[in-house]
Amino acid sequence: MHRRSRWLVAGVLALTLGVAGCTGGDDGAATSGAGGLPGPAGGGGGAYPRNETLYTSGTQWGPPNSWNPIIPGYAMGTVGLAYETLFLFDPEKTEITPWLAEKGEWADKTYTLTLREGITWGDGKPLTADDVKYTAELGKIKAVPYSNLWTWLSAVDVVDPRTVKFTFSDPRIQEWENWLYENAIVPKHIWESRSEADITTTANDKPVGTGPYEYLTHDQDRMVWKKKADWWATKALNLDVKPNYIVDIVNSSNEVALGLLLQGNMDLSNNFLPGIANLVKGNFNIKTYYPDPPYMLSANTAMLIPNTTKAPMNDVAFRRALASSIDTKKIVEGVYGNIVRAANPTGLLPVWDQFVDQSVVSQNGFAFDTAKAKKALADAGYKDTNRDGFVEGKDGKAVKLSLIVPAGWTDWMEAARVISAGAQAAGINVVPEFPDAGALDDARTAGTFDLLINNWAGLSNTPWHYFNYVFQLPIQAQQFSANFARYESKPAWELVQKLARTPQDAPEFKATMAELERIHLTELPMIPLWYNGLWSQYNTTHWTNWPSSAADTPKDLPTTWNNLWEMGSIKMLTQLKPAAG
Amino acid sequence: MSRYFGRKLGIYALTFVVAVTLNWIIPRFMPGDPVLRMLTRTSVSNPEAIAPMRTYYESVFGLDVPLWRQYLNYWVELFQGNLGVSVWLFPAPVADVIVRAVPYTLALLLPSILLSWWAGNKVGALAARRKWLDNTALPVSYALTATPYMWLGILLAWGLGIVAGVFPVAGGYSFELRPQWSWTFVGSLAQHWFLPFLSLFMVAFGGWAIGMRNLIIYELEADYASYLAALGAPRRLIRRYAFRNALLPQLTGLALQLGVLVSGALVTEIVFAYPGLGHLILQAIQNQDFFLLQGIFLFIVIGVLAANFLIDIVYVLVDPRTRTGMQGAT
Amino acid sequence: MTDTEHVVEAPGVPALAEPVAPLVGKRREALHFALRNRKVVGGAVVILAFLLLGLIAPLFTDHGPNEYVGPPAAPPSADYWFGTTTFGQDVFLQFANGIRATFVVGVLGGVLAGLIGMTIGFVAGYRGGLVDELLNMLTNIVLVLPALAVLIILHAYVGITSVPMQALFIGLFSWPWVARAVRAQTFSLRSREFVDLARLSGMRPIAVIRREIAPNMSSYLFMTFILLFGGAVLMAATLDFIGLGPTDVVSLGLMMNSAVHWSALHLGLWWWFVPPGAAITAIVGALYVMNVGLDEVFNPKLREM
Repeated sequence: MHRRSRWLVAGVLALTLGVAGCTGGDDGAATSGAGGLPGPAGGGGGAYPRNETLYTSGTQWGPPNSWNPIIPGYAMGTVGLAYETLFLFDPEKTEITPWLAEKGEWADKTYTLTLREGITWGDGKPLTADDVKYTAELGKIKAVPYSNLWTWLSAVDVVDPRTVKFTFSDPRIQEWENWLYENAIVPKHIWESRSEADITTTANDKPVGTGPYEYLTHDQDRMVWKKKADWWATKALNLDVKPNYIVDIVNSSNEVALGLLLQGNMDLSNNFLPGIANLVKGNFNIKTYYPDPPYMLSANTAMLIPNTTKAPMNDVAFRRALASSIDTKKIVEGVYGNIVRAANPTGLLPVWDQFVDQSVVSQNGFAFDTAKAKKALADAGYKDTNRDGFVEGKDGKAVKLSLIVPAGWTDWMEAARVISAGAQAAGINVVPEFPDAGALDDARTAGTFDLLINNWAGLSNTPWHYFNYVFQLPIQAQQFSANFARYESKPAWELVQKLARTPQDAPEFKATMAELERIHLTELPMIPLWYNGLWSQYNTTHWTNWPSSAADTPKDLPTTWNNLWEMGSIKMLTQLKPAAG
Repeated sequence: MSRYFGRKLGIYALTFVVAVTLNWIIPRFMPGDPVLRMLTRTSVSNPEAIAPMRTYYESVFGLDVPLWRQYLNYWVELFQGNLGVSVWLFPAPVADVIVRAVPYTLALLLPSILLSWWAGNKVGALAARRKWLDNTALPVSYALTATPYMWLGILLAWGLGIVAGVFPVAGGYSFELRPQWSWTFVGSLAQHWFLPFLSLFMVAFGGWAIGMRNLIIYELEADYASYLAALGAPRRLIRRYAFRNALLPQLTGLALQLGVLVSGALVTEIVFAYPGLGHLILQAIQNQDFFLLQGIFLFIVIGVLAANFLIDIVYVLVDPRTRTGMQGAT
Repeated sequence: MTDTEHVVEAPGVPALAEPVAPLVGKRREALHFALRNRKVVGGAVVILAFLLLGLIAPLFTDHGPNEYVGPPAAPPSADYWFGTTTFGQDVFLQFANGIRATFVVGVLGGVLAGLIGMTIGFVAGYRGGLVDELLNMLTNIVLVLPALAVLIILHAYVGITSVPMQALFIGLFSWPWVARAVRAQTFSLRSREFVDLARLSGMRPIAVIRREIAPNMSSYLFMTFILLFGGAVLMAATLDFIGLGPTDVVSLGLMMNSAVHWSALHLGLWWWFVPPGAAITAIVGALYVMNVGLDEVFNPKLREM
C-alpha cells in the first residue's frame, strides 16, 4: 500500500517534471540567445541567419493568403517588395519621384510615360510598355478597385517598348499622380491568360514582380520574403536592400509584438504599442522616429464622423457644439500617453501645413470648451426639457447618440469613452458602443450609424485626397470609401474637382484650398480629432541606422504598412546596417 | 449492445443535423451581409461597379439561388468537405484555413485532457486515503479548478515567460525557423507548446482530482464496501473496487466536460497567441466572417460528438453492467 | 442506460444523497451541522466578504470606475490600493465594481440555468414516456454543443450588450447536466410511497412535484445552484476576457482583457491583472468548497471523514 502510493505520487511528479525537463532540454538546444530567451538557432539548418534577417510586424492581422496586388488584402510587401509602382511618393518633398518609370510628362490632355531601361521581371522577362498598358486596362474590369480611372481616362497607347501615352477625357492631375504611385504594374505575359473573374479572385500564390524580394514561404503566423539576386535599382539608382530575409510576423495582438520587440526577436514593429514612451526612455535598445513626444510621425487623421442625414447631426450648430465638447488633449495625453498629436482643426496632416490658411482657422476653428458648447446648444434651441441632464432634439424628443468604434480597437474604444464623457458633460447624450469591425463597416457603408470614428484620410501625394474624402459627391446608398457623413455641398465638391485638376505649385491651388478649409470649418461635416501615429518602433540590437528625426539619419517612412512602401519605405531597407558590422 | 449504440448514434446524428441547420440558418437571417463586406473591403469607388460585383460575389458565396437550394447545397458541399469561402481571408477556402490551425489546437487539447484525467484520477484516489495528501492536494485542486483558464495562462506567461524568460509567450514555433524534421524545430515546437499545455492541464487536473477523491469516499461508504469489509476482505481490494466504480462516473464527467475543455483551449490559445482555432474564431467574429465562424463551430461540434462517442465505447468496455443490462432503464 | 450515468455530473458534483423525510427536523439538523462545518462557514465568509466589498466600496467614491483619477500606471499605494491603470484609472475601484457584475452574472445565470434544468428534469422524470424521450433528446443535444462556441456564435449574431443579457445566454446553455441529474432523482422519487400517496389523493402533477418531490431534493438543488453560480462566473469571465461581453460595465474579465491589451504583462503592471483573476478564483473556489461542506452536512455518512 504505502509503497504503491508513493510510487504513484512520484510517478505523477516525474511525469510533470519529465515533460518540463525534456522541454527544458530542447530549450537549451534551441536557444543561443542571451538570458535564456528563445533566440536564433545558431545558424542551424532551416533557420534564417539573424544578422541577415529583418523581423517585422504590424501589417498583417490574418494568415497571409493572397499575393494579388490588384485586390486589397494582400500579404505584407506584395506591392512594394515584390510588385512595384511606376512612381514613388516622397512625403518629405511632397512630390512623386520616378521609380519603374524614368519620367512622365503632361502635354495638354496626354501624359507620356517613359519606362526605365533594363528592368526585368522575376522570371527574367523585360518590363515593357505593354505591361503598363495591360495594368491600366485592367481598370476596365468593374471589380478592379481603380475602375473609375476609366471615367476620365480615354485611351492608353504603346508608343515603343519603353513609352506609353495616356489620353485623358478629363486630365485630373492630382488624381492621376495618385494612381501612378499607388498601383503596382503586373506582368502581362503571366496575367493575360487569366479570366476577368480570376484576376480579381486569384490568390496569385507565385508572385512574379520587379521588386527586390521574392516569395520564400509562409505559414499561419508569418510571411517570409527572400532577397532577389539582382534588382534593377541596384544598378540604376545604386540602391541595395540590406536584409536577405524579411520575416513578417502576423499580429495576434499588439502586446505580443511588444514582447518580441523587447526581447530583440523583432526589429521593426508597426503596431500601436501602449507605454512605448517609457520604453524609449529606458534601456531597452528601443527607438522611435522622434526621441520625445509625439515619438511617431503622423499617418492619418482620426475624424469624428456625424451622420448628417439624421437629426440633430444635420444641424451645423449642433455639430459645432459637439466639436467643442471634445477634450482632445485628454485623448492625446490620457489615452495615448502623448504618442499622437492633436489635429489641426482643418484635419490636414502636418505635411500640408503650407496649405493651411491660418486666418480661416482662427476665424472658424473650434477648440475644447464645455461652457461654449453648452451655450452653443442653448443658442441653437436645444434645451433639456425633461431635466435628465441631456438636451432634447428640436422636436422635443430625447437625443441619444451612439458613437461606434470597432470592438478590440482598444485605443479608439478608450478615446470613444473620453469623447462620450465630454459630450455628456456638455449636455449631449453620446454613448460609446463597440460592435465588431465588420458590423461597423456595414453601418458606415449603409449610413445607419449616428457617430463613428474613421481615419481613412491618410498620407498621400495631395491634399485633394483629403478633401475628396470629406466632400465626395454624389451620395450613394452605400458609401464605400469617402464622405461617410453624407454631407452634401455642391460648391465644395466643385472646388474639390477643381483641386484635382490644379497643379500644386499654381497659386490657384492655395486659394482653392483656403476656400475648402473655410467650408469645412464652418460646416464641420466631419470633426478632425487627432493624428493617428505612423506607429513604428525599432529594436537596434541587430539592425541600426533607422529613420529618425536626428541629423544624418535616413528620413524615410519607417513602416511596413501596405501602401506605404511606395511612399519611400522601401528605401529604409537600403539604409539599414547590420549591428554586428 | 447494438440498441444502445443505435440510440447513442441516433442522438449524435440528430445533434449534428441540428447544429448544421442552426449553423446554416443563423447568418442568413441575421444582419450582416458578406457581399457588402467584400465590397467594403475592395473599397469600390466606381458606383457602376457595385451591381456587377454584388452579383459576382453572390455567386462566389452561393447566395444566388433560392434558400431551400442553398440549404441542400450546404449539405452536399459539407459532405465534400467544402465549407465555403472565407470572407476575411478571401479567396481562401474555409476548410483550408481550418485545417492549417487544427493541428495546434489538437496538440494542446488531447494531451492536456488525457494526462489531466489520468493524473487527476490517480492523485484524487490517493488523496481519498491519505490524510496528508488530502489536506494538501485538495485545497490546491479546489484553487485550480476555480481558476479561470485565461488567468492561469496570463500568470504563467507573465511569470515563466516574461519575468523569468524561460518560455516564449507567442507563436507556434520560433519565428527564426522553417518547419522541418530537426531537433531544433521539434524543440522549438515543444517549447512554444508547453505553457499553454500546462495551464490547460493544471485547471483540468484540479477538477478530476476532486471528483475522484469525492467519488472514492462515496464508494467506500457504500453498502458493498461495508459488506466486503465485514467479510474481512483486505482494504486494498475494497479500494480497488471503489476506484473501478468511481472511474465510470469520471468517464461520464469527461464527456460532460469536453465542451468546457474546448472553451479553455480556445481562450488559452488567445492568451499565448498560439496559432490554433482560438485566434481564428476571434478574428472571424471581428471580421464578421460568418462562413469561417460556421466552419469552426461545425468542426468543434463534430469533434465533441466524435469524442463523446469514443467515450461511450470506452464506457461499455469498462463497465461490465452496461455490457449485459444496457437495454434496461430509460 | 445505467443509473450511474444519470447520477454523476461534472467533477466536484458528488453523487446525490438519499432524501429522507421528515423535512423540518432535517432542515434544523442541517443548519446545525452547516454552522459547525468549517468548509461551509469558510466558503460563506469568503463569498460574503467579496459581496460586501462589491456592494460597499463603490459607495465611498464620487467618481466612476473608468474615470482617469490618478497618475498613470502607478503601483499600489495608500491612495490607490491596487494601483492604477495606464490611463490612471483606480484599479481597486474597477475591481470592486467588477465584483458586483460577477455576482449579478453568477446569481442570474445560476438561477436561470437551475430553473430550466429543474423544470425539464422534473417534467421528464415525472411524466416519463414520450415527453421524457423528447426532453432527454433536447438535453443531450444542448449537452453536446460546446457552450462557449455557441455563445460566441450568439454574440456574433445578436450581440451581448448587458450583464443580465449575458447571464441569460449563459443560463440558456448551462442547464443540461442539472436536467439529467434532476430527472434521475425524480425517477427514483416518483416510485416512493409518499409520492404515490399524494398522487392517489388527487394532487395535480405540478403540485406533486412542488410539494412532494422538490422539497426532498432541496439540499441537492441548492448545491446545484452553487455549482451553476460558479460555472456562470467562469463563463462570463471567459467571454469578457475575449472581448465578447458587455463593454459598458466594468467586469473582472474585462479588466483582464484591458490589462492584456494594454501590455500590462510586458510593462510589469501586475496589479492590473492579478486582482481580478484572484477574485474570480477565490469566489468560485469558495463556492466549490462550500458545496463540499454542504454535501457533508446533508449526507451524514460523509461527516466522519
